[in-house]
Amino acid sequence: MKLQTTVVSIVFVTAFISLLLILINRKLRKFDPLSEPKGIVLAAIMGVQTIDKMVKDNTNDKVAKFLTPYMLMTITYIFLSNISGLFSLESPTSNYSVTLTLAFLTCVLIEVFSIKENGLRSYIHGLFEPFFPFVVMNLISRVSTLLSLSMRLFGNIIAGSILMSIIYQLFGFISAQIPIVGQFNIVAVLIAPALHFYFDLFAGAMQAYVFTVLTISFIGKELPQKEN
Amino acid sequence: MEKAIIGLAAAICVAAGCITGKYEGKVAIAAVESIGKNPDAAPQIRSMAILGAAISETCAIYCLLIALLLLFAYKI
Repeated sequence: MKLQTTVVSIVFVTAFISLLLILINRKLRKFDPLSEPKGIVLAAIMGVQTIDKMVKDNTNDKVAKFLTPYMLMTITYIFLSNISGLFSLESPTSNYSVTLTLAFLTCVLIEVFSIKENGLRSYIHGLFEPFFPFVVMNLISRVSTLLSLSMRLFGNIIAGSILMSIIYQLFGFISAQIPIVGQFNIVAVLIAPALHFYFDLFAGAMQAYVFTVLTISFIGKELPQKEN
Repeated sequence: MEKAIIGLAAAICVAAGCITGKYEGKVAIAAVESIGKNPDAAPQIRSMAILGAAISETCAIYCLLIALLLLFAYKI
């Protein structure tokens, strides 16, 4: 059996997140609620508050109780996966299986919350909106959510990593023309950090945020409208 | 010859997706203008802008999908 290179980085990212969570758990157990939070505890509290507010703006409280931990975990995992290119790992999100799994979970959550909040009867009735033959269109639109969510994340990350590898080859070619220091690939050292900042950090954070916001608003769209 | 035509077809698919870039820029312009007019509504405008940009980006993503399918199905 041939092992894909992304499998190694999936293991690394998962182990890192597990260690991080154990560390935060240890710190939170010792933490005095009346004192001022700082360091990693402050970061954890701010992250939970931000995601919680984002979920509660779009859904109701009952759904938010289940959805917030999942969304926080998803955004952490996608962000760490996207920036793992900085640590000379191959991003797990540049493997289509990973993004397809994440998007599939989103689709399952959409259906589950839709049935749970609207009831099975109105869920089945909603499939045949506005009249009977549209059932085909409705089913296609469900599959298109899966495709577009997974391909968005995958396409952005794979484009970044392919571009970076081409750019490194180009820099190697250019710096080979410089005498004496040419073997060191000096051009890449000077220019590549800015490109890494854009393709890994900025695009990675942006895509993690977009995936989370889209999941939350797709789920919020299916829920019954709340009265203000 | 066949491979060249398939490669060209994949390139045309990606070129069609490029139009999305212009109109996603328009989404950003509209969001910036409305935040300038009404700074209090910034959080709602931000999430709506991202949602709109992401949904219009779907077109470009399908173009990419078709290009990838063409390339992998014919093993270029």
